[in-house]
Amino acid sequence: MPLTLTPDQVAFLQGPLSMNVGAVGRDGWPCVTRAQGLAVARDRRSLTVLLAAARSRAVLDALDAGSAFTLVASRPQTHATLQLKAARAERVPVTAAHRAVSARCVAAFALELETLGYARDLQPTLASILPTNDLVALRFVPAVVFDQTPGPRAGTVLARA
Amino acid sequence: MKLALESIRACLDGAIPAVVATAAADGTPNVAYASQVHYVDSEHVALSFQFFSKTRENVLAHPYAEVQVIEPVSFRHFRLRVQYLRTETEGPLFEYMKAQLAGIAARSGMDKVFALKGADVYRVHAIECVDAQAPATPQPDALLKLRRTLDHLGACDDLAQLADRALAALAHGFGIRHALFAMLDAAPGASGVALYTLASLGYPASGVGAEVAMGEGLIGVAARERIPVRINYHTGDYTYHAALQVADPASPRIPLPVLAHPNSQIAVPLTHGARLLGVLYAESEQNAFFSHADEDALVVYGRHLGALLARLATLPDDESVAPAPPGETPHGTPLVVRYFAHDHSVFVDNDYLIKGVAGSILWTLLNEHQRSGRRDFCNRELRRDPRLPLPDFADNLETRLILLARRLAERCPDIALEKTGRGRFRLSLTRPLALHAA
Repeated sequence: MPLTLTPDQVAFLQGPLSMNVGAVGRDGWPCVTRAQGLAVARDRRSLTVLLAAARSRAVLDALDAGSAFTLVASRPQTHATLQLKAARAERVPVTAAHRAVSARCVAAFALELETLGYARDLQPTLASILPTNDLVALRFVPAVVFDQTPGPRAGTVLARA
Repeated sequence: MKLALESIRACLDGAIPAVVATAAADGTPNVAYASQVHYVDSEHVALSFQFFSKTRENVLAHPYAEVQVIEPVSFRHFRLRVQYLRTETEGPLFEYMKAQLAGIAARSGMDKVFALKGADVYRVHAIECVDAQAPATPQPDALLKLRRTLDHLGACDDLAQLADRALAALAHGFGIRHALFAMLDAAPGASGVALYTLASLGYPASGVGAEVAMGEGLIGVAARERIPVRINYHTGDYTYHAALQVADPASPRIPLPVLAHPNSQIAVPLTHGARLLGVLYAESEQNAFFSHADEDALVVYGRHLGALLARLATLPDDESVAPAPPGETPHGTPLVVRYFAHDHSVFVDNDYLIKGVAGSILWTLLNEHQRSGRRDFCNRELRRDPRLPLPDFADNLETRLILLARRLAERCPDIALEKTGRGRFRLSLTRPLALHAA
C-alpha cells in the first residue's frame, strides 16, 4: 500500500525549510548534499527534490549506482524536522516550474534565517551558492516518514508504505 | 589543495547546525542534524551524543559518515568524510563540549532538550569545500591582537600591577571590555581549593576577593580541567555562568561582578608548566565575540601570564625599608572590628569585610598594632606567625595581601595597607580600633 502524506506534512514540506539529501556511495561511504527545492505531487504519494548538479556529484553518483535515498527537511524557526526515505530516486527532466520552485524555496529559507538573526542580506548569498541554472530533479516515492525533530522522540515512524 | 581542519574552524562553533549522513547495516542512508561538531585537533572532530539516535546506531555498526558544516556569513558548505572512533564520557573534551553545548542549546531554544551524554570522536579523512568559488568569510587576525596585548602589558615586577595590566591590555588587544583575573588558592581552606578574584575590568563593582570553587561555573571548569572553555551564546544553564552566585546568608560571600546575561564567555587557565596559577575570564554582550583563533591567542596569553606570575614568586623580598613617618593619630569614633575564628571572617561596623586567611592576617595585624603600635610589617614574619593558617607550601601570601588591601580600599578606607617594598607593607589607620573576637 503506497504511503500518502498527510495534508499537514505537505503544508510543512512547502514551508521555509533547510533540506538535505543523503545516499550511500559505491564505496559504502554515506554522502550528503543540500537540496534547494521540493515539490509534492498532487496525489501526495511522490515528491520531486531539486539539487545543484555541481554541488551534488557524490550523491548523484551514489543514486545512479542504485543507492537508497533519504531527504531530511527542517524548519529553522521551530526545529520541526521530517525525514523521508525511499528505496531509490530517479532523475526527471528539469522544467521551468522546477526552477521557479527552487528560487522560491531558497528565498524562503534565506528569509527565515535572516528573521532568526543568522545573517543580514542572506538572500543574494544563498541565491549565488544555490543557483537555479544547474538543477537536477529527483523524483521519489517515500517508503517511510520519520519525525526527526531533535529530542528523545526523534526517529519516531509517522507513516510507512 | 588539501584543506586543513584548522582552516574551517569557524564552521565548528555551532553557529549553524551541521548535518551528518550515516548508513545502516542494510545500506539505508540517514541524515540527521548535529548541534555540535567540535574541533579536537588537526585530524579529529567530536560530535555531541545527546540521544540514542539512528546516527549513533548506524556509526556503531558502520563507522563511516559524512558531515556537512557551514561557514557563518559566507554560508560556504564543507563536507568532512569521517570515521567514528570512540565515545568519551568524562575528561576535558567532554567538559568543554558540555559547556559549549549549553550555549548552543540556549541559542536554539533547545536548552531543555539538549544534554550531553558523550563526545563521539571521529577521525577526519577528507575535507571538501563545496562552494570553492564563493568568497570566504574574512577571519580576524588573533596573532596581531595578541601582539598588541603583549605590547601593552609590558614589564611588571609586582603582582597587583600585573593583574591590573593583564586585564587593561586585553581591552587594547582584543577589544575585551569585561574580564576577571582570578588566582588559585591551592591551600584547602574551609571552603576547599578555590580561586579568588584579584582584579577585574569593566564592572560597576570590582568583586575583588570574590571566590569561585573548583569546578564551579565556567571559571571553575577551566581551572579543574585546565582547559580553555568558550561559550559563544548566552546560556540559561546556571552551571555555566561564570560562577554560581549563591547568596547564602549563613556564609558571607563577595559576589562576582560578572554580566547578568553574557552572550559570549571564555575562561583560560593561567599555567606555568604543569602548575595551575589562576584563570583569566572574559565575557561580552555580543554573540560569538570570541573566535577559535582568539581562544588560541588567549591560551598563549594565559601561559605568558603564568610564566610572569611564577617569576614574580621567585623574586626576593626587600631587606629593609625606611621607617614609617609619624602618621596622624587616629581619631573619631572607634571602628568596631569583629572577628569570627571559625571561618576567620572579619566584620567592620557590622559590615562583612573578608574571611579566610586574609581575614586572619588582618586580625593579626590589627592586634599587633593595638598591642605594640607597630605599623611596618613584612611577609616573612607573617609566614612564620603561628596564628596564621598559612600552608607550608604555596601560601599565596602576596595574593592574599593584595586582596586584603583592595578590599579595605573599597569597603573600609579607614584601614589601609600600603606596599613599602617587595614583601613589605605598612598599616595606616585614621580611626581608633575597638577589637572584639567572637
